[in-house]
Amino acid sequence: MPLNYRGYAIPDKVVEIREGIRTMKIRGAGKIARAGALALAEAAKTYRGSDLKNFLKYIEIVAEYVRSARPTAVSLPNAVAYVMNRLRRAKFSSVQEGIEVVNELADEFVEYSLNAVKIIGDLGAKRLVNGDVVMTHCHSTAAVSVIATAHKMGKVNIAYVKETRPKMQGLITAKALADAGLDVILVPDSSVRYFMKKVTKVVVGADTISANGAVINKVGTSMVTLAAKEARVRTYVAAETYKFSPRTVIGELVPIEVREPTEIVSEKWLKENPGVKVYNPVFDVTPPEYIDAIITEKGVIPPQAAILILLEEYGIKISDILSGELGGVLKDEELRE
Amino acid sequence: MPECSNIFDNIEKISKDLREGNILGSTEAALTIMNECRKASKICEPRKYVKYLLRAIPQFLSARPTSLIMKNFIREYLTRFTETINESGIKEATKSTPALIDFIQSKVNEIKNAVALAGSKRVVDGATVLIHSYSTTLIKLLKIARDSGRDFQVYVTESRPIGEGMVTASQLSKLGIETTLIVDSAVRYVMKRITDVFFSADAVAANGAVVNKVGTSAIALAAKEARVRTYVVAGTYKFGLETVFGELVEGVVLSKASLIIPDQELNSLAGRVLVRAPIFDVTPPEYIDAIITELGLIAPQAVPLVIKEIFGWPPKVINIEDLLKEVSKSAA
Repeated sequence: MPLNYRGYAIPDKVVEIREGIRTMKIRGAGKIARAGALALAEAAKTYRGSDLKNFLKYIEIVAEYVRSARPTAVSLPNAVAYVMNRLRRAKFSSVQEGIEVVNELADEFVEYSLNAVKIIGDLGAKRLVNGDVVMTHCHSTAAVSVIATAHKMGKVNIAYVKETRPKMQGLITAKALADAGLDVILVPDSSVRYFMKKVTKVVVGADTISANGAVINKVGTSMVTLAAKEARVRTYVAAETYKFSPRTVIGELVPIEVREPTEIVSEKWLKENPGVKVYNPVFDVTPPEYIDAIITEKGVIPPQAAILILLEEYGIKISDILSGELGGVLKDEELRE
Repeated sequence: MPECSNIFDNIEKISKDLREGNILGSTEAALTIMNECRKASKICEPRKYVKYLLRAIPQFLSARPTSLIMKNFIREYLTRFTETINESGIKEATKSTPALIDFIQSKVNEIKNAVALAGSKRVVDGATVLIHSYSTTLIKLLKIARDSGRDFQVYVTESRPIGEGMVTASQLSKLGIETTLIVDSAVRYVMKRITDVFFSADAVAANGAVVNKVGTSAIALAAKEARVRTYVVAGTYKFGLETVFGELVEGVVLSKASLIIPDQELNSLAGRVLVRAPIFDVTPPEYIDAIITELGLIAPQAVPLVIKEIFGWPPKVINIEDLLKEVSKSAA
C-alpha cells in the first residue's frame, strides 16, 4: 500500500527520499537540495493518468510533502521552489510533456547545484588581487574554492586559517588549502584580532543567509568579521543561493543549535567540575553591515540584496513559505556536506 | 637538602615554563622567580649566588618579556641588593635577601588585595561578568564580590592556546560562583548577555594600552561594539616605565604544532602547515573603560599621571642590565 498524503498516493521512492532527509541520512545543504528536486522527478515519473490538471495538483501535493521533511533545512524549500516555479510558468499540453518538464527541471537544478561551487570560486577569485593575504574560519567548500582559484591565478599565496574550536574544522580547511598549494598558517581563534593586521581579505562560507542579508555561520564568524571591519579588511561570504533562507522573509528568526559540552571539555573534566556549565552554541549571526559582498553562483551581491535572490531566482512566494512547516532549530548536521 | 647546583639546573625549566605559559599569570611569574632567588640565596655561597643572579635573571626576563611586574620586581630587588653590597658587603646582602624578597612580595600582595577590593565594587547585583585567561587577582576580586553577598554570574573563555580558562572556571565554581565556560569564538555571540568584562594585565604601556593573554583585544572590541564596560585590573607595578621612553613591549609567539593540532592529526598536517600561536596581544586604550589600580580607578589615558605621581616625571628608570653590571662589579 503506497502512502496516502492528502488524497494522493505517494510513490515509495519519494517516501524513501523524504525519510532519508527527515532522519538525516541525507545531510548537507547541497545534498538535501538535490535529493528534494529529484524526489519531484521520481513522483512525476510514476504518475499514471491523463488529466493534466490533476497531474499538476499531484505534483503540488508531493512538493508540499517533500518540503515538510525538515522544517529547518534551508536548501530544501529552495530546491522544491526552483522546480515548482518553473513548472508553473512552463507551457505544455499533456501529462507526458509535464513529466518531461519536471524531469528536466530537476536535472537542471542538480547540475546547477553541482556547478555552483566552481562558479563561486571563479567569481570570488576575481574579487581578490595580487598579494592578498586571506583569513578564513571553519570549513566551507565554497570559500576554499574561492581561495584555491585565486591561488591558481597567482593572486594569493598565504592563508591564515583559524582552528575553529570546538570541532576544529579549521584543520580540514588547512589540509584543503595546503593541497591546493597555499602557504597555510594555522592560528588559534583567540588570535583573530592579533593577526588581522597582516590580512587583506576575509573569505568565509555561510550555513544560511537570512532575508536581511545576515549571515549565519559557524560560531566565531561574527568575531572575525567584526575584527575585519575594525581593520578595514574586506569581508566576503561565499555561499550557494539555495542557502538563502525563505522562512526569514516572513520574519522567522533562525534559532541556533546548542550542542554537547563534551565537544569542548572531556567527560572526566565535567565530572570533576559539576559546578561549571559549558555553553556550546554552534552558529552565530553576522550582521549585513560587516559583509562587503556575498559571492553566489548567480553573481556577487551586497548582503542587503539577499531578498532579491529569494524572490527573483527562486520565485518564492510568501504563501509558499507559509504553507511549509515552520519552526525548529538550525542544526549542524543538516548543513555539513 | 638541595644543592646550589640544582637551582642552577632549574633555570632552564623555569624559563621554559614562563615562555610556554605553564606559569601564566604575570604575578605568578614574578613570585616564582623571586622564590627561586630566595632559595638560591639560602643554599648558595654569596659569590655563587651573584653568579646565579647574573645568569638566571636575563634568561627569565627574555622568557617572559611582557611581564612588567617581573621586571619591576627585579629592578627593585637588585637596587636594594646593590645598595646592601655597597654598605655592608656581599655576604650580608645575600643573607638579607630572603627578608628583602619577603618584603617585596608582601607589598605586592597588599597591592593585589587593594586592587581586588576596589574592582569587586564594580561587580553589582545581577551582573553577568565575562573574564578571560587565568588571574589570581581576578579570582580574588570575584570572591570578594561574592563574599559581600552580591548575586552575579561569570562567563569564562577557554583561552586557547593553553586553555587556562578551564582552570579559572573550575576554581570559580568551587567558590560557589555560577560559572559558564565558552569557546573563545563564542565571545561576540554571548556579549549581549554580558554586563561587564574584566581583564588582568601583563603590562600597561604609557599610553594606556594593555598587554594581556591573546584574545583580550578581540573581546574588548566585541565589548565596545556591544557597549559593555571593560575593566582592567592592574597594580601600578605592572605599568611599563620603559614605554614612556618609546620602548615596545615584546610579545611571545609560539610555533609548536601540538599547541593547536591534536595528536591524531599531527602526522598528516605537521610540516605542511605552519602554526603560529601568539601568547599575548595589545588592547588599545580606547577599548578600556578603566584600569583598576591600588590607587583607585583611572582612565587608561591617565597612566602617565600615575607614573608621574609615583616615580616622578620623567620617571627615573634604571636599566636592569646596568643593575646587573653593578652587582657584578660590587661583588668582584
